[in-house]
Amino acid sequence: MSAETRRLTGATAPSGQYLTFTLAKELFAVEIRAVREIIEYGHLTSVPMLPPSILGVINLRGAVVPVIDLGLRFGNAATCIGPRTCIVILEVEQNGSTQVLGMVVDAVNEVRDLSAAEIEPTPSFGGRIRTDFILGMGKLDDRLVVMLDVGRVISADEMVLLNQAGELTHELDSR
Amino acid sequence: MDMDEVLKTFIAESQELLLQMEDALLQLEHTPGDADTINAIFRAAHTIKGSAGLFGLDLIVAFTHIAESVLDRVRSNELQFNAELTALFLQVGDHLARLIALVDAGADLNTLEVEVQATHETLSEQLSYYLAPATAAKPVASQPTRIERGNASGLSADHWHLSLRFGPDTLRNGMDPLGLFRYLNTFGRIVSIVPLLDRLPSAAEMDPETCYLGFEIAFASDADKATIDGTFEFVREDSLIRILPPHSKSDEYLELIRTLPEEDMRLGEILMRCGTLTAAELQEVLLAQVEGQQRDEAQPIGQVLMEQSLVQAPVIAAALQKQQQIKDNRSNENSLIRVDANKLDKLIDLVGELIIAGAGARMTAKNCGHSEMLEATELLSRLVEEVRDSALPLRMVQIGATFNRFQRVVRDVSKEIGKDISLSISGGETELDKSVVERMGDPLTHLVRNAMDHGIESLQTRQANGKPAQGNVCLNACHDGGNIIIEVTDDGGGLDPQRILAKARERGLVSDSQTLTEQEIFNLIFEPGFSTADQVSNLSGRGVGMDVVKRNISALRGTIELSSTLGQGTRVRIRLPLTLAIIDGFLVNVGQAGYVIPLEQVEECIELHSDSAITRGHLELHGQMLPVVRLRELFDDDSTPPRRESVVVVQQGGLRAGLVVDQLVGEFQTVIKPLGKVFAACRVLGGFTILGDGSVALILDIPRLLTQLAAPRSAVPFETKQSYAHE
Repeated sequence: MSAETRRLTGATAPSGQYLTFTLAKELFAVEIRAVREIIEYGHLTSVPMLPPSILGVINLRGAVVPVIDLGLRFGNAATCIGPRTCIVILEVEQNGSTQVLGMVVDAVNEVRDLSAAEIEPTPSFGGRIRTDFILGMGKLDDRLVVMLDVGRVISADEMVLLNQAGELTHELDSR
Repeated sequence: MDMDEVLKTFIAESQELLLQMEDALLQLEHTPGDADTINAIFRAAHTIKGSAGLFGLDLIVAFTHIAESVLDRVRSNELQFNAELTALFLQVGDHLARLIALVDAGADLNTLEVEVQATHETLSEQLSYYLAPATAAKPVASQPTRIERGNASGLSADHWHLSLRFGPDTLRNGMDPLGLFRYLNTFGRIVSIVPLLDRLPSAAEMDPETCYLGFEIAFASDADKATIDGTFEFVREDSLIRILPPHSKSDEYLELIRTLPEEDMRLGEILMRCGTLTAAELQEVLLAQVEGQQRDEAQPIGQVLMEQSLVQAPVIAAALQKQQQIKDNRSNENSLIRVDANKLDKLIDLVGELIIAGAGARMTAKNCGHSEMLEATELLSRLVEEVRDSALPLRMVQIGATFNRFQRVVRDVSKEIGKDISLSISGGETELDKSVVERMGDPLTHLVRNAMDHGIESLQTRQANGKPAQGNVCLNACHDGGNIIIEVTDDGGGLDPQRILAKARERGLVSDSQTLTEQEIFNLIFEPGFSTADQVSNLSGRGVGMDVVKRNISALRGTIELSSTLGQGTRVRIRLPLTLAIIDGFLVNVGQAGYVIPLEQVEECIELHSDSAITRGHLELHGQMLPVVRLRELFDDDSTPPRRESVVVVQQGGLRAGLVVDQLVGEFQTVIKPLGKVFAACRVLGGFTILGDGSVALILDIPRLLTQLAAPRSAVPFETKQSYAHE
C-alpha cells in the first residue's frame, strides 16, 4: 500500500516489530523487515556532483552501498557525527529490484513491538518532515515515535530526480 | 538427469541451429548449390528433429521431417535451391523458432493457436510439393510436382523380402531354420539376412530347446510365390511368415512394417540393412504415411499426432543418418563445451572478489614489511592477474553472429520497402562481452532499419544521381584500444545539416542565435525532443527513435556519433567498452578520494611544476596546447592541494585533455561495480571499485568527461573535430 492510498483510506502503519533510532533528538522507527544490518559509521567515500543528502558510498563486504544523511533528506540540518553515530543498512524491494541503501542516524535504540493500538495515523499537517515519508505515529512509553515509510525515504527514483536537479545547479554554478 | 535442464539445452541449441540455418540459407543466395552450406542446413534441421524426438515433440519432429526430406533431395541434386525454396525455408525456420518459443513458454503443442496452426499446415503443404519419389531418376526442375503415392510404381528392390518369426516350438517340432535357408538356396540366393534376437532372453532364462529367432531375408529368386511359401509349410502354424514379391509398392512395405511385432523404427532400419529398401525409399514410405495422415483433414490433430507418435516415422530417418551425424559432430564436441552464462558470471564475480582480496593481502604485506610475505603475495597477484585474463575472455563472443542476423533483416526489409539493398559485413570476428552483444541487438536493428528506410534513396533517385542501382548498408566492427567500434554505414542520400538545424530551431531545441558546427547539428538527431513522428517523411526521417538508441548505448557506457555527407551517405559510429566487469585502471588521488582512470585512456603522466604553467585552462605540452582540468575544482573538493601536483594526459577518440591530480598511485586492476540507480545521473563517473584497503574508489568515465569539457567551449582546437554531444 502506498503512502498515498494509505492516507486516502485512513489506514495506519501495520503493527509488528520496529527498529527505533534517534536523529536530531527525535525518535523514529522503521519496520524491522527493511533493516538488513547496522554498522559503525566510517570509511565513507564521498561522491562528487551529487546533492548533499547523499553522503557517499561505503564498501559493505564487497558491495558498494550509497549512504544518505537522513537529516538532509528531510530538509533539516546535516547530522553531526558522534561516538554513537551508526549507519542503518536498509533493503527495500522496489519495482521488482532490490535496493540497498544506508542511512546515518545519531543512535540506534531498540527493536520494539508496536501493536495496532499504539499506532495512530499520520497527522495531515505540522511536523518538520514531509508527511508522505511518514507511515504513522507510534506511542512508546509516553513518547511519540515517527514511523517512517522506508520505501519513500530511500526511493531511488526521487533521488535520481534530486540528482539531476543537483547536477543542473552544479553545472550552472560552474559556468 | 533433470529433464527441465535438458529441455532448456534443447531450446537453446535449437535456437542456435535455426540461426545457423538462416545464415546458411542467406548465404545460399550468393553461392547457390554450395554443398557445405546445404549440408549445414540439413544438419540443423536434422539435429532439431532428432532432439525434438527425445522430448516427444511430435509436431516439431513431423514438421522437420518433411523439411529434412526436401533438403535431402536437394543434397542428392534432385532439387535446386532457388529463390522460391529459400524463401520457403526461411519461413520454415521462422515457424520452427516459433514452435520452439512455444515449447520454451511451456505451451502445449497439441493445441496451437489458430494462426500458428494455419502456418503450420500451409508450410507442411508447401514443403510436400517438393517431395517427388526418390526413385524418379529424372531431376525435378523448379516446377513443383505433386506425386500421388498410393498408386506409385514399385520400389527398386528386385528381390523377394521374407520376414520370418519362428514360433517357440519350431526346434522341438524338429524343424531347423538353417535347414530352411539351405532349402531356399536351392532355388535362389539369399542376398542378405538379418537375424532378430529381440526375443532372446538372458542366459539364465534361456531354454535351449525353444526357438527365439526371427529373420529378415532379402532373397533373389525366379521362383514363384507358391514355391517360396512352400518352404515354410511345416513351420507356418506357429510362426509368422510374410513374403513380399520384388518391386512391391511402398504401401505394402508400410503394411509389412506395421504388422510385424517389432518396433517400426527398428524394422525400417533392418529392411534397409537387408537391402530391400534404400534409405530414400524407406524415408519415402514413412513419409507417405505421415503425409497421408496430414492430408486427411477430417481427422482431429490430436489423433493424427497420436498416430504419428505411434509410428515414429521421423525417428527412423534419424537412425538412418545417425552414423553420419556422429561423424560430423565429433570434431566439434571435442573442442566446445556449452556452459550456462550464469555460471560464467558467477565465476567472473568471484575473480573480481579475488582481485580485491589479493590487493588487500598485498597491501597488508607491504605495511608489515615482511619480505617473504611480500614475495608470496606478489606471486599470488601475478597468478590472480592470469586467472583474470583467462576468465574474462570466456564471456567474449564474436559479434559476427549478431551481424549475420541482419542479413535476414536487410533481405526482408528491402523486399518490404521495394528497394534493392545489399548488406556487407566486415570485422565479424571482433570479440566483445556477451552481455554487451545481447544488448546491442535492438539499437543495431534500429540503425540498420533507419539506414534502409530513410538512408538509401529510391531507385529513381539513385539512378538520377549516377549511383549504382543497388544500395549498400555496411556493418563493421573493430577494436580500438580498450573499446570496440561498431559502424553502420550506408551509401544513401546523407543528411542535410541545414534542414536538421531548421527543424531543431522550429522545435525550440536550438535558439536562433546559436551557431553550431556540422557535427553538433548531426548530434541533434539524438536529442529526445527531436524525434517525433511527424517529421519522418519530410526530413529523410533519420530522427525517429535515435534518442532511444543513444540511451541504450549510454547504458553500456558507450558513445554514439554520426557523420554524413549529403548525397553520399551516412555513417553511425558506436564506441563501446570491451567488458563491463574488470579493467586495467590507473589510480590517482585527489584530496581524500581515490579515482581510477581506465589505463587504455591514459596517454602519459607529467609533473606539474607550478600553477603558472596553466594559462586559461591550457597547458603547453610537446608544442601543443592541451586543455586541462583540475579534478579538485571539478569535484568541489575544498581540501588544500599538495605542493606538487601531477597531470594525467587522457585521450579518447581524438579528444585529449589533462587532469590535474594530487598524487599518482599507479596501475590497479579494477573490478567495476555498477553505479546503481541513485548515481545513474552522475555523468563523469563510470562506476565504483574497491581498493585493497577496503575503501571505495570512483572510476572516471573519460569519454564523457572529455565531452563535457569540450562541449561548452567548442572553440577549443582539437586534433579532429569530433564530439559526442552529451549536452
